[in-house]
Amino acid sequence: MALLQIAEPGQSTVPHEHRLAAGIDLGTTNSLVASVKSGKAQTLNDDAGQDIIPSVVSYQADGVLVGDQAKYYAISDAENTIVSAKRLIGRSLNDIQSKYPSLPYTFCGDENHPEIQTRQGLINPVQVSAEILKHLNTRAEQALGGELTGVVITVPAHFDDAQRQSTKDAAKIAGLNVLRLLNEPTAAAVAYGLDSGQEGVIAIYDLGGGTFDISILRLNKGVFEVLATGGDSALGGDDFDVAVVDHIIEQAQLARPLSNVMERQLSQQACFAKESLSINDSVEITLSHDVQPWSMILTKATFNDLISGLVNKTLRACRRTLKDADITVDEVIEVVMVGGSTRVPLVRTEVEKHFKKAPLTSIDPDKVVAVGAAIQADILAGNKPDSDILLLDVIPLSLGLETMGGLVEKVIARNTTIPVAKAQEFTTFKDGQTAMAVHVLQGERELVDDCRSLARFELRGIPPMAAGAAHIRVTFKVDADGLLEVSAMEKSTGVESRIEVKPSFGLDDKKITQMIVDSMTNAKEDIQARMLKEQQVEASRVIESIQAALTEDGKLLSEVEITVINHAISSLAKIAQTTVVADIEAAIEILNDSTATFAERRMDASIRTALSGQSVDEV
Amino acid sequence: MNYFQLFGLPDNFTVDLGRLSELYQALQKTVHPDRFAHASSQEQMIAVQKSAMINDAYETLKKPLQRADYILKLRGTQMPSEQASFSDNQFLIRQMELREMLSDIKSSDDVNFEIDKINQTLDDEFLILFNSMQSLLDQNTSDADELAYKDLRKLKFYQKLHIELERLEEQLFAD
Repeated sequence: MALLQIAEPGQSTVPHEHRLAAGIDLGTTNSLVASVKSGKAQTLNDDAGQDIIPSVVSYQADGVLVGDQAKYYAISDAENTIVSAKRLIGRSLNDIQSKYPSLPYTFCGDENHPEIQTRQGLINPVQVSAEILKHLNTRAEQALGGELTGVVITVPAHFDDAQRQSTKDAAKIAGLNVLRLLNEPTAAAVAYGLDSGQEGVIAIYDLGGGTFDISILRLNKGVFEVLATGGDSALGGDDFDVAVVDHIIEQAQLARPLSNVMERQLSQQACFAKESLSINDSVEITLSHDVQPWSMILTKATFNDLISGLVNKTLRACRRTLKDADITVDEVIEVVMVGGSTRVPLVRTEVEKHFKKAPLTSIDPDKVVAVGAAIQADILAGNKPDSDILLLDVIPLSLGLETMGGLVEKVIARNTTIPVAKAQEFTTFKDGQTAMAVHVLQGERELVDDCRSLARFELRGIPPMAAGAAHIRVTFKVDADGLLEVSAMEKSTGVESRIEVKPSFGLDDKKITQMIVDSMTNAKEDIQARMLKEQQVEASRVIESIQAALTEDGKLLSEVEITVINHAISSLAKIAQTTVVADIEAAIEILNDSTATFAERRMDASIRTALSGQSVDEV
Repeated sequence: MNYFQLFGLPDNFTVDLGRLSELYQALQKTVHPDRFAHASSQEQMIAVQKSAMINDAYETLKKPLQRADYILKLRGTQMPSEQASFSDNQFLIRQMELREMLSDIKSSDDVNFEIDKINQTLDDEFLILFNSMQSLLDQNTSDADELAYKDLRKLKFYQKLHIELERLEEQLFAD
């Protein structure tokens, strides 16, 4: 006799389908992709059993190379081989050239949209990151045997809005569905938190190739609450290399400007020396390209002297962040080390001294971020409906607006938990003023010139009034990815102006679409086919999730309401069979709109349930 | 629904912070956008709104001065704008003295000692005002609330001084 299956009450009757999802650590120096396979998060290897991919992209005449193959050209063809693109992403030309004066690239493009001249034409740093993401996606699909539902991409906690937006744009160009941008230290905490199941305050010290983050978190019953985060988006192991390069130049009596080949050779020698000094007390540095063969010995003591200023800079950031979190060093129960640069012995000893405890290094510092991202991707894709894990992250830098006199008025303070929405009211400066320039800024300083300009827009059509009579309400919304949206409204008339902050530095949608088309032609894919498929997948995802919601909470609706939703479902299901992308898009929107009330009621009901569960606990 | 009702808490100034934090986490576990990453875009949008509102509520109730401000607003207390003139001359003179102490730190021989000293002074004076505000708020009468609001305004001055002291400390120990 066949047994009939009956689902547990409250659970979906549809057998759960495992959705393929991956976590991506898009690093300055190296990148990795990881996924949860048979319940365990692991990094994914290439055919040679290697999981780490150098974040290097080389634009050769016959194609674009990524990873080790690209790294091969790093010295001989430095102009066409982009390393550490993450340091360039979301930054202005001026910013790049003043921070990294000796890059071997030829920069073109305007101030806000820097591009690099390569053999394959002008390339934006976002496109470089997109190439790396595509490469990782291919690897994941091969390893997992299917297309990915979505990915979690990690970013330094300290990344500003422009850098986050650019990272998301890169994913879009690479054709990836981003489930969430996740802060690297938080990802590392997830990777460790699961293993140890600890409760209390922990510090994550994350020193990567190009960025430094320090995050203070409180762990409690699966909730990871970030209390404060700080750091430096332009300080990392690469700077140790730069310090060593300057030292070599001095010792070898070389003078800048040097050839591109020489600059790359020096960087590689410096990096090799740094890595070698993690195990040895001294190392020989040799120069052979473009110069009389020359060598010197670098001792660990000299190296430590060269980098001690940089290490101290990270400790100062730790002190500041602990203060922001209102936590003393003694309250920190664990310090987690993340990032390849934490292999440098001086870093470990100084961190140990500062926090008065030996740091945790049991998970490979190069892989811990990708592993944490994979765990979160698995949850967000819906594979773990019973998971107790919740990440409560913060914005790293304050957001504000320019006011009279070039001053910044903060609207959302740094270390505010996201998502967040805050409004502030402003008024006009002159009698009869009918327009207002809204200038959005990010940073901690009081002067506009010292903060990062994110966007400018104008609110027009304010009725002429006496100065100070108008009430302009500006609303800032930051979503769970840490991305900002700003809108402004004149209250008495309801004149509204809304923008999604696309940083002045970012790419507009048209440009992104063009890049997607370009990358398609290269891959001989058909953009129409891809867009159609994307919309069809989206349609079935929306139908599936709404049907599941109806099964679970249909009781919250009247019969008429259910009929309306069911009608929209069947109409979408029918249209999704056709091939007109715009029609499917419209039908998805109609279905979404028809469930607005339902979604709100469901949410309120779950809030009530959560609270009643709480009071029962207490009794 | 006000923020106290949202958490199912009585609208008293004294709040059990441990309980507040537990309730906050329980609520975020049900509405956080991460719970809806694969849901319909309607649900995702509402999750962002609710989650943002709960964050704001938690932030407001967690911080004592913000909580006091919020309670006074709920009770409909007359609150002149922040820019309105401040008539307590004795208090203003004291503020000027404290500001001078702050600006004298840079030129002092023992910066650490001076910072600790002024920190202590600020804390002591803050606490006296805070206790006064707390007992006024507990009375829950409109007369007491108006007095509590006066204390709250003064406390905000102290809060600003505290932030300035921290900034100064950061500058002095930057390198």
